[in-house]
Amino acid sequence: MSHDLGIDNDTLCEIYTQVARIHQVDRAIQSGLSSGKFQFTYWPLTGQEGIPASIAPLVTSDDHMVTIYRGIHDQVAKGVPLKGLFAEALGRIDGVNKGKGGSPHISDPDSGSMLTTAIVGAGAPIANGIALASKMRGTDAVTIVNFGDGATSIGAVHEAMNLAGLWKLPVIFLCQNNQMGEYTRIPDYTASEDFASRAAGYGFRGVILDGNDVVAFHKGMKEAIADARSGNGPVFVEARTIRLGLHAGVGDTNHLSEEDLAAAKETWPVPRTRKLLLDNSICTEEELAAIDAAAETEVKEAIEWAMNCEPTGADEMLLDVYADPTVAPRRGQREQRAAEETHTGETRELPMFQAIQDAQETALELDPDVFFLGEDIGESGGVFRCFQGLQEKYGERIRPTPIAEQAIMGAATGAAIMGLRPVAEIMFCDFMGVAMDQIANHTAKQRYMSGGKTHVPLTVRTVAGAGIGGFGAQHSQSTEAWLLHTPGLKVVYPSTPSEAKGLLLSCIFDDDPCVQYESMMLTYSTQEEVPVGDYRVPIGVAKVKREGADISLITYGWQVMQCLSAAEELAKEGISAEVLDLRTLMPLDYDRIFASVEKTGRALVVHAATEFCGLGAEIACTLNDTLQGQLKTPASRFGAAYAPIAFAKPIETEQIPHAGTIAARVREMLK
Amino acid sequence: MSTTLTIPKLQMSTTEGTLIEWLVDDGAVVEEGQPIYSFETDKSVQDIGAPVSGKLTQKLTAGETYPVGTEIGEIVPA
Repeated sequence: MSHDLGIDNDTLCEIYTQVARIHQVDRAIQSGLSSGKFQFTYWPLTGQEGIPASIAPLVTSDDHMVTIYRGIHDQVAKGVPLKGLFAEALGRIDGVNKGKGGSPHISDPDSGSMLTTAIVGAGAPIANGIALASKMRGTDAVTIVNFGDGATSIGAVHEAMNLAGLWKLPVIFLCQNNQMGEYTRIPDYTASEDFASRAAGYGFRGVILDGNDVVAFHKGMKEAIADARSGNGPVFVEARTIRLGLHAGVGDTNHLSEEDLAAAKETWPVPRTRKLLLDNSICTEEELAAIDAAAETEVKEAIEWAMNCEPTGADEMLLDVYADPTVAPRRGQREQRAAEETHTGETRELPMFQAIQDAQETALELDPDVFFLGEDIGESGGVFRCFQGLQEKYGERIRPTPIAEQAIMGAATGAAIMGLRPVAEIMFCDFMGVAMDQIANHTAKQRYMSGGKTHVPLTVRTVAGAGIGGFGAQHSQSTEAWLLHTPGLKVVYPSTPSEAKGLLLSCIFDDDPCVQYESMMLTYSTQEEVPVGDYRVPIGVAKVKREGADISLITYGWQVMQCLSAAEELAKEGISAEVLDLRTLMPLDYDRIFASVEKTGRALVVHAATEFCGLGAEIACTLNDTLQGQLKTPASRFGAAYAPIAFAKPIETEQIPHAGTIAARVREMLK
Repeated sequence: MSTTLTIPKLQMSTTEGTLIEWLVDDGAVVEEGQPIYSFETDKSVQDIGAPVSGKLTQKLTAGETYPVGTEIGEIVPA
C-alpha cells in the first residue's frame, strides 16, 4: 500500500541508491580485509549509512563537506568517485590523493569533499573557514562537518561552535551520535543528556534527529540546510544512530550485549530503508534489486580498477610537501635563490610595528582575497598596534576573534583551502601550543595528505616576547623549533622593519603556509627607512649584515643585534666576525650559509631558542658534515640554557645568549 | 578467478592470529558471508565469513598461529 511519506519518490529512490552504494562499499572493504586481500586500517561505518544518504539529495558539489576517518559513507554519498576512493585506500598513485592521504584522509574538492581528519573534532574549526569563504564570496553554499559523539568532548568543537555562532556561518555541525566514542560508551565519558542542547549555549539551534530513519532525517536536514543557506547561521544536528561495527577493524562491535546488538540491527538503515520503499510501493522488488546490483557492479569495477593501479612510489616522497619541491630540506642541498634588489624608490621612516601595519595594508589593497583574523585586532587596533584604523577602512576583512587559537587557525586553514589568503595573528608564539593540532596536523599537512589537490596559502604572525623581561615562562619562549620540526610550514624571522614588511608580503602571497615570528625586542625599538608600496624580501634568502673573515655568526631575529654588538666588541680585539642573518628559517639558505663559512672557516649558530635540539644544532651538524676538512674548528651552536624562561631578570639575561656571552664563545673557538 | 584467503589484519594492532578451526570441510561449496573459519587474534575469537561464494580449498591446518598475510586457502567459483 502506498503512503505519503512527505518525500517524493525520486528522492526516496535516490536516498536508497546511496544507502545501497555505501553498503556495497562497506561490504567489499570488510570482505577484502577479512580475506586478506586488502590490508589497510578501516573504521567501519556500518549502521550509519542513512545519514549521508539522506543528505545527498539536499546538496550539490558546490556545498562542502568535512569528515573524519570513519566517513567513507560520507565520501561515497558526497560523490567522491569510487575508483579513486578505493585506489586511495589502497595507497595507489591514481587514488584521489595520490595514495598519500589514504583511507583516513580522503579529500576530493571536485565533489565538495574538502578535508578528512583523523584527529577527533579537528574538522569543526576548519569547516568554519570553508563556510566563511563561501560567505565572504557571497555564495549560498553550506558546509557540513561530520564528527562522532566522541568529538563533542574536545575543545576544538566548542571553540568552533562559539565562533560559528558569533559569525553566523553557514555551517552544520553534524554529530553522528553512534553512542560510542572509540571504545567508550555514553555515559562513561559525559554526563550530558544529549549533545544538541549544547548549541543553545553558543547562541544557535540544535536538533536531535533519528539518523536511522531516512524519512525523518531527510526532512530535518532539509530544514537545517535551508536555514544555514539563507544566512541564519549554524545549526547543530545530533543524528542518533548506532555503530554496529568495531571502532577499527572487521566484525560486530564488542561493546553491545547480544540482545542490544540484535535490537540495534533491527534499526539498521540498509534493510530498513529497503523495506520502507517496498512496503510503501515506492519501488518494486525488481527495481530495488536493480539498484543493489548496480551498486555491487560499480564497487566491483572500482576495486578491480584500483587493484591494477601502481602503488605510490618513493619518488613521490618529497613532492607536495611544498609547492616547490626544492624547499624540503635534504642532505647535500645548496639551492641558489636570488636576493631582493636594492630599493631605490620612495621610503618612510617606520618602527617595525608600523612597517608590519604597512605590509598588511598593502596586502589588503593588492588582493581582495586577503583578510585578517585574530584576537583584539578590531577597533582597538591590535595588541601590538599593527591594525590601527584597519577595521574602519576594510570592514569584515579585519575579523576580531574570540580568545580561541584553535578556532582562529582552523578558520584560517579552511578559508585558505578555499583559495583565500588569510593572515592570522597568534598573539604570542607561546600560544602556538593551543593551536598546534590545527597548525601541525592540518595546516602543514593538507597539501601532502591531499596529494596536491588542495593547499593552504595562509600566514601566521606571532610575537616572541623573549628578552624584554618580566613576561615570565609562558610569554617569553622562542618556539620556532616546534614548527621547524613540522614538514609543510615555512618560517621567517625578520630583524629589521623593512625585512618584516618585505617578508610578510612574501608570506601572504606564497602558496604554502608561512609563519612570521616578530620579536618584541625589535617591534618598537628599531626604526629605519622602509620602502613604500609592494616591497618584498624573498623567502629563503639570508643576508650578511656585517662582513668578517675569522668566524661566521649565523643568527636571526633579535639575536642579530646581539651578534652585531658581539662583533663590534670582538673587532676591538682584532677578531673579524661576519654576521649572517638567516631571515628565513625554513627553507634555510644553505648556499649563503656555506659561502660565508667557506670564507671564514669557523661558524657559531646563535639563537634565543633552547640550544638543545634547536636549529643551531641542525645547522652546525650540516656544516660539519658538508665542510669536513675545510673548517678550522668544528661548527658549534649557542642557544638558551635548558630551563623555562625565568621571570627574574638576572636569570633571563644569563640564560639567553647576549653580546657578552657570544663574544666569549667566539674567543674560546678561536683559541 | 580465485580469491585467496590470507590471515587478515582485523585490527590496527593485529600482527598474527590463530586459525582455530575450519568451520566447513575442505572442498565444500560456501556462500558469501557464511562463516568459514574461526580465528583468534588480540584475545578475541571471531568467525570469518567467506568473502565470495564458491568452492573452498584449505591450504593450512587449523590449530596453528600464523602471521598476517599468510595464505591459508582459496575460493574458486563453483
